[in-house]
Amino acid sequence: MIQLQNVSKQYTLSKQQQKELQTNASSVYAVNKVSFNCTPGRVYSLLGANGAGKTTTLRMIATILKPTEGNIMVGGENVIDHPEKVRQKIGFLTGSTNLYDRLTPGEIVQYFADLHGMDKVLFEQRKDMLFTHLNIHEFSKKRIAQLSTGMKQKVSIARSMIHDPSIVIFDEPTSGLDVITAYSIIELIKQCKVEGKTIIFSSHIMSEVDLLCDDLAIISKGNLIYADTMTNFRSQYIHQSLTEAFIDIVKEGGRRVPV
Amino acid sequence: MNTILTVLKKELKDTLRDKRTLISAIIIPALIIPVLLIGVTKLQSSLMKKEGDKQLKIALIGNTENFKKQMEDPGFKMFTNYKIDDAKSAVAKDSLDAILEFQPDFFANVDELKSGKMNLYYKSTNLMLYSRVSEKLEAIKSQILEERIKTLNISKETLTPFNVNKVDISTAKEVLGKTIGGFLPYIFIIFCFTACMYPAIDLITGEKEKGTMETLLSSPASRFQILIGKMLTITIVGLSAALMTIVGMVVGLKFLPNIPADFLATINDMVSAKFIIMLFAMLIPLSIFFAGILSATVIRAKSFKEAQTMVTPMMFVIIIPAMLAMIPGVMLNWQTAFIPILNIALATKEIIAGTINMAMYAAIVLSLIGFALLAAFVSYRQFSKESMVLK
Repeated sequence: MIQLQNVSKQYTLSKQQQKELQTNASSVYAVNKVSFNCTPGRVYSLLGANGAGKTTTLRMIATILKPTEGNIMVGGENVIDHPEKVRQKIGFLTGSTNLYDRLTPGEIVQYFADLHGMDKVLFEQRKDMLFTHLNIHEFSKKRIAQLSTGMKQKVSIARSMIHDPSIVIFDEPTSGLDVITAYSIIELIKQCKVEGKTIIFSSHIMSEVDLLCDDLAIISKGNLIYADTMTNFRSQYIHQSLTEAFIDIVKEGGRRVPV
Repeated sequence: MNTILTVLKKELKDTLRDKRTLISAIIIPALIIPVLLIGVTKLQSSLMKKEGDKQLKIALIGNTENFKKQMEDPGFKMFTNYKIDDAKSAVAKDSLDAILEFQPDFFANVDELKSGKMNLYYKSTNLMLYSRVSEKLEAIKSQILEERIKTLNISKETLTPFNVNKVDISTAKEVLGKTIGGFLPYIFIIFCFTACMYPAIDLITGEKEKGTMETLLSSPASRFQILIGKMLTITIVGLSAALMTIVGMVVGLKFLPNIPADFLATINDMVSAKFIIMLFAMLIPLSIFFAGILSATVIRAKSFKEAQTMVTPMMFVIIIPAMLAMIPGVMLNWQTAFIPILNIALATKEIIAGTINMAMYAAIVLSLIGFALLAAFVSYRQFSKESMVLK
């Protein structure tokens, strides 16, 4: 489970940044008093325009950034008090395929498995399962620099899932991918849901959100302006597509609906 | 500890697959020193021989027919038809090598057992010219002196109140320490730092730029463990470069042409377990120091190029203390023992010469460890800041 309570992330602005943003304020809130919960076995989707605060929120959940205010609990652990325990439980994947060019898929997956302290036998089983499912075996001995974007994203998925995390955090996972590779990620998310994992992902692709998510939150300029189940959302915006409803909500500044 | 070793293992594997690191840390230090030593020595010998065999064109100005006969030598071609200004112009244009201008009363003074005066005009850029011409002139002078001694009926000893017999009691080790002892640390310090530069940029700024740092930060490894793993990798690469430089230097010295036997024996003695241990006890903290200051610097860069721009000027800061150690008169004492880089260079000289003060050596090692820990701490403070580790 993921629980956010009045979470904020404040950045101090330099004089240069104040000038660029045309503001006299000495600081800015990238995320401002955001609260929501993600429960196991459900897919939570975070929507918002570029710069809304989605990535900042996901990074705070993944302990990459520290919240300035508020509380985040991930799998029963506080992200500030026990960040290493939180990171043991999570799998984090971003849209940009961030891998090591001079290593092979096998070596990368081994590295992250070792960082998680995985047992050797279990690792081999998980690796074999993931590589088979994602068709990585055919290029597992090639270096990352020689692989296509789609192949790299598959390796990223394997890397993030090798330790069988109970909580999965995806930040625009299908961004820039071809249809077939994007489909494999959607299938993975569905599989994670069936396995009872807690899943939170951000996306710009409304069709994916429509297909996958059980709970929905919209962030705009750091503020949570909408949060509800997908079922309630569809009933509230019955005559509109998800895209149209999203645009309306962002324009109006939204209304908070607790999940 | 396991996590640090996991990070170290992966970073080493990744780094050693990079051709630029292999070239800068292993190949260049191991090859360039022996190639330079042997190549430059051979080239120098060849140039000196060429210069020595060259026939020098010398103009004699004044009434010089007799002198011309005395100067006769296959290595010299004499010209007596120049006026002084034309001859100077010819030397400037390299169509003449030298001018011997005899003062008008030269020959009269010499005949009257007095001192004659002549001017030798030449260019100092012409290697060996002065030594060749003055050697010939000295021979003529000695001959004239012999004749005068006979004429005056006095003995040679009368003209030589005393002789000084030079006896050098410095050992071959001390001589070696003075000669290569200053040069060797300069080279291995530079190579150690240069070898650390690229992995530091690649493992820190490179990861930030590529976005892999974010992925690594979401793993169970703490920032401290990640940083230590990376710093150890940078340190190992730097140490390898220093080691290869020393190996290259020893190999180069052993294969130098015409090397005296006792010099060769001293080089063999130098490469002992004691020398290696003492040197590495200083090199290890120095490499950690380099890894720390480079990490703390490159973490501030947003791109590979920016990081390169930041670390290049650091090279000049490192060179200065290494060069200072080569200056005669700069000695290892209780002040210089605490200046990093300078202390290791001076200590290496003393270790090679076999004259190191062990108390001072201990102080040097401890001070280097102190600087290494400080650099690592500063690096960790930088690495802990969110704005530093993310794009």
